[in-house]
Amino acid sequence: MIRGYEVVVGLEVHAELNTATKIYCNCKNSFGLEVNTQVCPICLGMPGTLPTLNEKVVEYAIKMGHALNCGINRICKQDRKNYFYPDLPKSYQISQADIPLCHDGYLDIIVNGETKRIGVERIHIEEDAGKLLHSDKFDGSLVDFNRCGVPLIEIVSRPDMRSSDEAKAYLETIRSILRYIDISDCKMQEGSIRCDVNVSVHKPGEPLGTRCEMKNVNSFSAVVHGIDYEANRQIEVLEAGGTITQETRRWDDAKGESVSMRSKEDAQDYRYFPEPDLGTIVVTEEKVQYLKDTLPELPNARIMRYIDTCGLSYTDASMIVDVPEKAELFDKTLEAGCKSGKLLSNWILGEISKLMNDGTDICETNLTPEKLAKLVNYIDSGKISTAAGKKVFDAVISDNADIDEFIEKNSLSQISDVSSLEKIAADVVSQNEKSVNDYKNGKTNALGYLVGQCMKASKGKANPAVMKELVLKLLED
Amino acid sequence: MNIDIKHVAKLARIKISDDELPRYSEEMDNIIKMVEAMPEIDDGLLVDESNVMDLREDELSDSKISRDEILKNAPKVVAGCVVVPKTVE
Amino acid sequence: MELYEYKASELSEMLASGEISSVELTKSVFDRIEKTEPMIDAYLTLNKESALSEAEKIDSKRAAGEELSPLAGIPIGIKDNISTIGLRTTCASRMLENYTPVFDATVISKLKNAGAIITGKLNMDEFAMGSSTETSYFKKTKNPFDTSCVPGGSSGGSAAAVASMEAVMALGSDTGGSIRQPSSLCGVVGLKPTYGSVSRYGLVAFASSLDQIGPITRSVKDSAMLFDAICGHDPMDATSARREYAPIGGTLNGDVSGLKIGIPKEYFGDGIKPEVKDAVMKSVKAFESRGATVREISLPSTDYALSAYYIIACAEASSNLARFDGVKYGYRCENPENLMDMYERTRSEGFGREVKRRIILGTFVLSSGYYDAYYKKAKLLQKRIRSEFDNAFNDVDVIVTPTSPFEAFKFGDKMDDPLAMYSADICTVTVNIAGLPGVSIPCGYSETGLPYGMQIIGRSFDERTILNAAYAHECDFSGFKAPVIADKGVEL
Repeated sequence: MIRGYEVVVGLEVHAELNTATKIYCNCKNSFGLEVNTQVCPICLGMPGTLPTLNEKVVEYAIKMGHALNCGINRICKQDRKNYFYPDLPKSYQISQADIPLCHDGYLDIIVNGETKRIGVERIHIEEDAGKLLHSDKFDGSLVDFNRCGVPLIEIVSRPDMRSSDEAKAYLETIRSILRYIDISDCKMQEGSIRCDVNVSVHKPGEPLGTRCEMKNVNSFSAVVHGIDYEANRQIEVLEAGGTITQETRRWDDAKGESVSMRSKEDAQDYRYFPEPDLGTIVVTEEKVQYLKDTLPELPNARIMRYIDTCGLSYTDASMIVDVPEKAELFDKTLEAGCKSGKLLSNWILGEISKLMNDGTDICETNLTPEKLAKLVNYIDSGKISTAAGKKVFDAVISDNADIDEFIEKNSLSQISDVSSLEKIAADVVSQNEKSVNDYKNGKTNALGYLVGQCMKASKGKANPAVMKELVLKLLED
Repeated sequence: MNIDIKHVAKLARIKISDDELPRYSEEMDNIIKMVEAMPEIDDGLLVDESNVMDLREDELSDSKISRDEILKNAPKVVAGCVVVPKTVE
Repeated sequence: MELYEYKASELSEMLASGEISSVELTKSVFDRIEKTEPMIDAYLTLNKESALSEAEKIDSKRAAGEELSPLAGIPIGIKDNISTIGLRTTCASRMLENYTPVFDATVISKLKNAGAIITGKLNMDEFAMGSSTETSYFKKTKNPFDTSCVPGGSSGGSAAAVASMEAVMALGSDTGGSIRQPSSLCGVVGLKPTYGSVSRYGLVAFASSLDQIGPITRSVKDSAMLFDAICGHDPMDATSARREYAPIGGTLNGDVSGLKIGIPKEYFGDGIKPEVKDAVMKSVKAFESRGATVREISLPSTDYALSAYYIIACAEASSNLARFDGVKYGYRCENPENLMDMYERTRSEGFGREVKRRIILGTFVLSSGYYDAYYKKAKLLQKRIRSEFDNAFNDVDVIVTPTSPFEAFKFGDKMDDPLAMYSADICTVTVNIAGLPGVSIPCGYSETGLPYGMQIIGRSFDERTILNAAYAHECDFSGFKAPVIADKGVEL
């Protein structure tokens, strides 16, 4: 709610699929290569060329449909969406109109600890357009067609979100699923996920307001800022006695504002009609079922599993699950015998995340799940301290050290053997009468001093927790 | 029937001058009259299941046409890109 | 007899036996072109140099004992809407005046692999839109039987080249009659194959769901031979049918005994010239005397087929031709002020009137608020027309009709009246709407010596039956009769 208005948000998410080839030709589906080198007569729309549909595109879209609990139209078709723009070589985009591949699903998102169900109206397949390049120094725009024909799925939500936070959570969950089922690289900075946002505002109890569509919302922060900006703009118009006109607006992230793109007079008329160059898409029931059966565990289910069986907090669980490599390492390390999920999560979200943030591919390092399990178990059992664990970790990463050998060689093992520690405690207590008296007179911080002395006497190898207990036992006798 | 020929022409990105307009209107009206004689058919249009297509395997092709070759028919090319009038202000 | 006068089936044998060389034959055809082309204007681009060097290669292959296809060394002309690598492909439009494709159409690859010699690119109505080849931006092709008459269209260049013997055979394309109607008007054989039997990859699309490439030849056997070479499933064309195609060429025997022929009364109505009807019915009688049975049938939705055709064809064309925008290839207007100006002037200056008229009609029928009333209705009608044909083919094997309601007409006669021009397609469009195969063969001549054509329509993928019936007819009526091409009193 903003100033007494409810904000209503729907999202259209376009995700580029990570197939090897483009959707309608066998050009390479790639990003960042030299301009106009990944093109052929087909994706350039040369006269006489025809499209052929990449089977992987259909499979990937159905996978996403299953992940979002959609119905699958296993018999469907494609349609042409006609409009002129220099980045669209055929002057029509092959898309899907009235019969999308997937329909009527939903996605559960978690916002502030609460689960909310967001409706998914449809998922359809379509082709991407090229890119226009502009320069102040040059009178004209340059067209790079490399991206033409890159496969896209468009995921259209129902207008079920009520804040920018919900929109963000929805997007994050969608992104996480795309990664889990491995159908998109999800690199927002490369434009592999793009977003159009529909925003309207209304007073609770009143009918929904007129919506504006905002295009070019291409980062998570832009989604939040864009929705907040647009909601406030609409509220201001209404508060000033104005009315909202249905229009398409463009989000300018640098300026932090949305600007009207085109007026109603030259409203688009896309003249959709069935693509006559393609036949009917028919996917067998067996294939649809197979794609469902082979779907990996989805992020939400994984988060719940980590909370329920490993005792992780929602925040920690979702942070691990958010990055498939981390979740993979988490599961494999548990499988390798790691006894504390909680401690493991600390390591994954701490040292390991640090490495990954520096660009290290964790699968390429010496840290196998077996080694990580051993390391965490040693810390968990008190065999080594957390500080020693860090040394071991570094040695494994840099030199592929053998954990046991390294602990032995560097005398990192903690003394947890009670009889030898009892002797140290007795010696320290007998030699520090003043502190003992201080403690007995209520100066409890004297305990810390005594334990510190014990640690010193053990040359730092004593298990501090065990040591503390033994000293306490002597003091209270 | 009154067709807004100018609007339709704009959608098609074709310019019709005012003196061409009456002729276009008349021709279009005649064609539309012919078309409107079609009988009403009370039936739905379903997806044609008999017209199933084969899908293509997701495999890269080895054949490649060079950029110079593939852009050789373009009216204006600079730095490997096709040039068009500015699309943004 | 000059080499260019022979039919492909005869030439194939002469080449195989070593009686003639492909270079001799190709030279003969180019000599013929040099002589008659000034009167006919069939070609837009000639491919002489490359044709002769290809012919040499074929001759040396043959000399080396390589096994060659029946088409090897035979000069074939190509309609100018079929993509040929390195050879200008204009669609007879200013829009593509300087466009040179970087890829071959599948049919061209097939012909090249078979060793056929490409003579050049043939004139047509602009983007195949027309029935007289008069909408070509470049030139008007003349009917070899009377150079003051049109050759028909849109494959007018192909039909005229074959009739005037400027090519042994030619490829045309047929969206609503564009192979059959000019074949009829030029007295040659033209086959529109079943939709999906010949790859459309590389055919510049007019109406994707109706277009089909096919042969135009001087004999039925030649059509069968050329069809055998170009048909087949193509993974590059998602609308091409996956099935086996048994060669037809060697199987034609003219046996029509027991063949059930349907005569649809709707195709013999008031719009059809009585002389044309008489010529067709005379041919039907001949079939009967060879043992075929004839019955009248009804295809009641025929009257609306032309409307459905123009809606579907123009709708698809408006979208197919949207790619001609001055960006990637083809014509761009001078000094555009901005993007919209570039689009509008490029397309207004690059397209001719008929093309613009159809694009605007197509844009209208697809536009918001009209889709259901026009496009959807037309598609429903298409469904009904198909099922009427299906029903008819339960009772008969082939359906015989006139190809064109009238013989070749004078230049300019119908150019000012689109509806009159569209009526030239009245007998042929239903066949495209239904996706069926149809062949046109000459079946008589007018008082002034202009050919009439008869159309034989068959079941889907049953080209063999209609070609065999056509072959029987050809045997009865002695087939192609060469025109006397006369110009200013000089006989050539």
